[in-house]
Amino acid sequence: MPQPRFDRLSERLLQAGIAPRHVRRYCRELSDHFDDLVREEKAGGAEREFAETRALSRLGNDDDLADAMLAKPELISLTARYPWAVFGIGPLVLVAASVAGALYFEHWLLNQPIGIFSWWTGQPPGPITAKFATQVYTVYNTLVVYGGPLLLAWLLYWLGSRQRMPVGWIVTGVALVCVLGGFQDIIFYDTGCRGCGHLIVNSGLVPPFPNLPVSLARAAMNLAIAGGVWFLLAKRKASYAMALSHTE
Amino acid sequence: MATNPNFMNGVPELLILRTLEARDMYGYELVQAIRARTNQAISLGEGVVYPALHALEAGGMLRSRRKLVNGRTRVYYALTAKGTKHLAGLVRHWQHIAHAVALAMGGTAYAAAPL
Repeated sequence: MPQPRFDRLSERLLQAGIAPRHVRRYCRELSDHFDDLVREEKAGGAEREFAETRALSRLGNDDDLADAMLAKPELISLTARYPWAVFGIGPLVLVAASVAGALYFEHWLLNQPIGIFSWWTGQPPGPITAKFATQVYTVYNTLVVYGGPLLLAWLLYWLGSRQRMPVGWIVTGVALVCVLGGFQDIIFYDTGCRGCGHLIVNSGLVPPFPNLPVSLARAAMNLAIAGGVWFLLAKRKASYAMALSHTE
Repeated sequence: MATNPNFMNGVPELLILRTLEARDMYGYELVQAIRARTNQAISLGEGVVYPALHALEAGGMLRSRRKLVNGRTRVYYALTAKGTKHLAGLVRHWQHIAHAVALAMGGTAYAAAPL
């Protein structure tokens, strides 16, 4: 049975700040309700076309359906209610939490009573194991330092775009996370004896601003990658919208 | 003394909570039950019942769960303990108003009728 599309209603509610989970469920429930109404009308002897028209009129028009939802402020998402917190303070909290989380995990691994790398390499603690551990942690730290900010940028983009937030807020969040993330650095090296490893966290934003040129370059790289991905997504979305308008 | 700026405030909530008191229902079922229960005197806009359900759920008065019925997934709503308490308050409030209106109309017969 063909069901009415609630795309326009969904778009309107999202733009007004209603939480995406409520919008999705609302539209699904409306579709199901429409289906039930059509069955009821047909069971009463109505022809299919008339049953569908009656069902739509009983369900309510787009304005009524939207107004009923918009009259419930408790259904507005936190992102729409506090964009300054999500896209302004959020990047700072996310970058700090991601660095702290990565460090905590690394520190926990380093403090395991059984030498995890000795077990892995089958070698006793010593220069060979230390070299291997340094390499593994360097890969991990590189992933955290380079991949973390981009992952967080994606998260903020996803949060903002699913809620149809103004582009300015999304750009602010993504740019902040790219820049702040670019200025953090985690370094580990093992010297071979137990308890002699060095785990260092540097922030290029805190005096004496260590590795400032590298931090600046990394922030610029993050911005370039995020900007490039954004451009490609926007282009794809525009061509999809154009294709859709041609088919309508 | 409290004022009543809008007599219809809380009516959909009252009807929804009262109807769900008997058993869990999904939206379409609920609208039909309200129509039957009120002898079709009160007919809610069928689609606009959902925002009220979502808001009641957000307020902790209802909880929802998906259930597969005849090959279709339905969202069933059920009353919570908080919702039961809220309903008791709403019923008292409405009985008070109904009684006041009945007095104003010169009798108490209406006020005695249960909801």
